[in-house]
Amino acid sequence: MRFDRDLAISYALRVGVSISMFFIIFGVLLIFIKNGGSGFTLAQIASYNPQLKVNSRYIYLGLIPEGLVHLDGIFFIATGLWVLVFTPITSVIIALISFLLTKNRLYIALSIIVLFNLFFAMLVIPHI
Amino acid sequence: MLTLIEIIIRFLSIVAGAFIAGLIGSLTGLGGGTVLVPVLTLFYGIPIIYATGASLISTIATSAGSASAYAKEKIANIRLGVGLEVATTTGAIVGSLTAVFIYDHHLSWLIYVIFGFVLLGSLVPTIQRGKYEIPKMLKPDWTTRIFQLSGSYYDARLHKNVEYSGVRWWLGEIIMFFAGMISGLLGIGSGALKVLGMDWAINLPMKVTTTSSNFMIGITAATGSSIYWYAGYIQPFIAAATAIGVLIGAFLGAKILVRITNRSIRWIFFAILMFLGIQMVLKGFYIIRVILISPYVQFAISTVISIIAIVIMYHVMKKIEEKGEA
Repeated sequence: MRFDRDLAISYALRVGVSISMFFIIFGVLLIFIKNGGSGFTLAQIASYNPQLKVNSRYIYLGLIPEGLVHLDGIFFIATGLWVLVFTPITSVIIALISFLLTKNRLYIALSIIVLFNLFFAMLVIPHI
Repeated sequence: MLTLIEIIIRFLSIVAGAFIAGLIGSLTGLGGGTVLVPVLTLFYGIPIIYATGASLISTIATSAGSASAYAKEKIANIRLGVGLEVATTTGAIVGSLTAVFIYDHHLSWLIYVIFGFVLLGSLVPTIQRGKYEIPKMLKPDWTTRIFQLSGSYYDARLHKNVEYSGVRWWLGEIIMFFAGMISGLLGIGSGALKVLGMDWAINLPMKVTTTSSNFMIGITAATGSSIYWYAGYIQPFIAAATAIGVLIGAFLGAKILVRITNRSIRWIFFAILMFLGIQMVLKGFYIIRVILISPYVQFAISTVISIIAIVIMYHVMKKIEEKGEA
């Protein structure tokens, strides 16, 4: 069967968004059921006040596995949001594969630059 | 303290606002953020850092949701999109780092004002180009061949296969850099600039432009989102609500888009964006006390100006239409 890039991307995007939404919705239910998460009460989480520090800066990604095991809603939401961030990246990877298959050198190079930028923003900039 | 019922209502009301934003964002190819940020800051009282953070990450959902539909129909040009992403992702890095600098220096009024002007500015290409569904073919240039800018798609409304070949790839790339920068700075998909880049610079049909732009928005937003994440602009409660709302709105919008003409898309975006744009500018100036009129008066002013502008627009469009038929 021929590799259909557009169909593969369509599928990957759909799967990524579905997984992400599963985690987010499940996380929201958990913070309502358990009246909070990650050491915050539900009322604190629902507050818009930046001083309460309920935001991504204080959600440590390293704690995600532990948070998921303990059914902590905040970490489920965080996982969902990160799956969302990774979803479009998979579409670039699929595009890259299609360029590799057709030996489209120029576009192989261009998609690698795009991926480099994405990972640069994700891995390098936070540590500067 | 908020009671449980109040929190549930708060959550659902954000979902509802995000739904509307997602619907409009998807219909226009702008991405939900352009509508979402003003709605969250103006009507929900959410601080702008959390509004832009929630918006940027939700924009990925809009983009992925609708791009999924468009990619399947093979209208979006993925190759072209990836090529232009080189500039948008670079721009997104520059833009989001600029945003971090601005917020660190307590200059958030600047974001409101820039946001407002970007919103109003995105109306310009709309006004200028309402005439053609498919642009006049321009003579292919050297970039057409090297960067493989030709393609075709099946237009369900026109019942025919539309062939096109883009030009001026370099100019598109320059505009895309700024599109990415605005995206990172304001937490939006910056679809208007992306559409401008592909529509005006590369000269692609409107359908290809909006769908490819939708695909690209996700990748640009993913770049900015990771920087926003570490800066702490993503508030899980707000972001969860907007991601859900925007996605449902975008999904519905994509279903509708395939069935309506481009002209009606432009109408929706003109009316709402005009109002929100003026509101954002006024709010920015209100924060630093450049203007001192009360928010209610601001609201009235924005409403009146947008209604007048829409009426004028309507007549202009009508004239153009009549000329086209004559």
